Amino acid sequence: MGTRILTVEDDERIRTAVKMALEDEGWEVEEADNGEDALAAFTRHPADVVLIDIMLPGIDGFDVCRAIRRASDVPIVMVTARADTHDVVAGLEAGADDYLTKPFAPKELSARIRALLRRARSSEPGLTHLRFGDLEIIPDEGIVMRGGNEIHLTKTEFRLLVELASVPGRVFSREVLLERVWGYGYFGDGRLVDVHVRRLRMKVEADPANPRYVMTIRGLGYKLQP
Amino acid sequence: MTTESRPAATEVKPLTQKRKARRRSRRISPARHRLGLRTRLILTFALGAAMLSVILSVITFGLTRANLFDQREAAVIASANANALRLSEQLVVSSSPSTVEQAIQSQSTPEGTLPVLHFQGLWYAGNPVAFGERAIPTSLRDIVETGLPDKTRVSYRGTSYLVAGVPIPELGAEYFEGVSLRDVQRTLDGLTLALLVASALTTVGGGLVGLWASRRVFAPLLNVGRAAEAIAGGRLDTRLPVGGDPDLDLIAAPFNEMAQALEDRIERDARFASEVSHELRSPLMTLAATVEVLENTRDELPERSRTALGLLSADVDRLQQLVEDLLEISRFDVGAIKLNLEEVMAVEMVIQAVSVLGGGGVPVRYDPEVADTIVRVDKRRMGRVIANLLDNAERYAGGATSVTIDRLDGMLQIVVEDRGDGVTESDKGIIFDRFSRGGEGGNRSTDSGVGLGLALVDEHVRLHGGRVWVEDRLDGESGARFVVELPIVEPPKDESEVDIDLPI
Repeated sequence: MGTRILTVEDDERIRTAVKMALEDEGWEVEEADNGEDALAAFTRHPADVVLIDIMLPGIDGFDVCRAIRRASDVPIVMVTARADTHDVVAGLEAGADDYLTKPFAPKELSARIRALLRRARSSEPGLTHLRFGDLEIIPDEGIVMRGGNEIHLTKTEFRLLVELASVPGRVFSREVLLERVWGYGYFGDGRLVDVHVRRLRMKVEADPANPRYVMTIRGLGYKLQP
Repeated sequence: MTTESRPAATEVKPLTQKRKARRRSRRISPARHRLGLRTRLILTFALGAAMLSVILSVITFGLTRANLFDQREAAVIASANANALRLSEQLVVSSSPSTVEQAIQSQSTPEGTLPVLHFQGLWYAGNPVAFGERAIPTSLRDIVETGLPDKTRVSYRGTSYLVAGVPIPELGAEYFEGVSLRDVQRTLDGLTLALLVASALTTVGGGLVGLWASRRVFAPLLNVGRAAEAIAGGRLDTRLPVGGDPDLDLIAAPFNEMAQALEDRIERDARFASEVSHELRSPLMTLAATVEVLENTRDELPERSRTALGLLSADVDRLQQLVEDLLEISRFDVGAIKLNLEEVMAVEMVIQAVSVLGGGGVPVRYDPEVADTIVRVDKRRMGRVIANLLDNAERYAGGATSVTIDRLDGMLQIVVEDRGDGVTESDKGIIFDRFSRGGEGGNRSTDSGVGLGLALVDEHVRLHGGRVWVEDRLDGESGARFVVELPIVEPPKDESEVDIDLPI
């Protein structure tokens, strides 16, 4: 049984063409032409990756994204019409892991999906157990605990945290994080990193407005304060 | 350089939107005035005040003067009549010259009464030195000799006098009495001065009122100017308050209508661009995906179909690029661009852009002192700028030879150099225009570009507060040098010693 992708897209021609192209890449594709059907399909048989077009009839892509995110940490890719609208940030805030703008090359989408499905790993082997103050990370098991309680992170959030934790105190630029976490081989969008850091802080920081662990270094990037 | 003096070849190139708009714009030619409206208003008030005060002064002066003279005349005539009567009574008794002399002397008073008597062919005067027979004009003498009293004003030895003449028929003599008008003159001089000062003050006062009035009148006009500036600056919902003053509403209401029409139109354009964007993206998405499906089966296709697929694939890419560029340009035109600004390390950004978007192979050089320089950019758009410059070099000059990052006068310079034929002087000015191509329109049949690349570079760089231009290579060899200049963000001092992890 291969990796299953649920694509939510209301334009039938696009849906068919993208399905064919993705199948050529070796993925198994399930389709839905509206948000309600997508949620029903996901509940019935959770996919490994979800691809959502923001412009949908009925409940929109953001709501579908939020609903799926509440139930699962499955990687979600948003499809937006334009890269410079508020849609991108709103989609990421709704829980998407990555985004693409129409028209995109299905090969590009496949590369993203592969990057999202990659298992989180620390760049320095042997780090099986990391501890910062009351924060505890076990990369091999995918577990993060704060004050002894497990925190639930999505795969992308977890990989971001592990990457920052691999060299505590070092500043990682957005580009480095994009490359290592999202597998971006091209000129990536720093907002991906910014929104995910914001989401990560909401979960690991006691006071997300005044972070103790995940620090911003203006003009340079982010670091994990040991 | 004016349009007329440009070489003919550049005349046929398509005009840019802006130029067309400029040519179409209609201006209501203003009445020519050398002085500003405000100055004219102040001058009008001042002149009005001056004229009014001068007229009032003249009337005041005239009336006062007439009044003073009338009083003085009445007094002189009464005094002359009384003195003539007294003199005739004295001289009826005795008329020897010594008696007459004595009588005349006694007529002189300290108030300035100057008696003169013509009696038995002789002239007697109270003060012969100051006021004697010479002071009496012949015209007056003639009238009085006929037996009629009269008066006149004379100027004698630099002083004005009022002279009244009374005949004394009992003695066959004429009695004259003069009185100096110096005090009246002094009063009138004082009055003149007072009136002049008052007029001057009134004029200045009128000017001040004019200044105040012009301020009052101009305050709403300045508001109109400020509102227009705000609209030009992009705050399209700016409106003037209406309903305060019916006269000002004559300006405010049409102004607001204009602003509303402008806002509606820009909104409509922006909505249109975004709708077109969506409508074009959907079929392009289908095309992109189906072409990829076909490409996957390329090896199974017959030769003819493979060639056709190659053409289809290339033109789908070109169409995508064209749609992207056109939409981006249309967003510039309606001012709908929202930059996604991030502070990035300039060197890192350029290295990445060149290696990722430029296909690598082009060396990036930089001065060590720009290594930590930070610029605030929309990375996606600045990436397009660099990619388009590299693409332009690839297309017209056999590829870029180097990308250099430097710092000059507080600005960051990103320089893309090539070793092509360079850019002619006439092309330097138009190369950043839309749909302009290198040389004589480029070779469209084999050229896959659409001529918007450098126009986008120009618009993007300007939106980032920088500028871009093309010049000859500095080493004197043939080739062009495209320079992008961007403002630098000064880094925070306290964080200069952080451990930076640069990408490989």
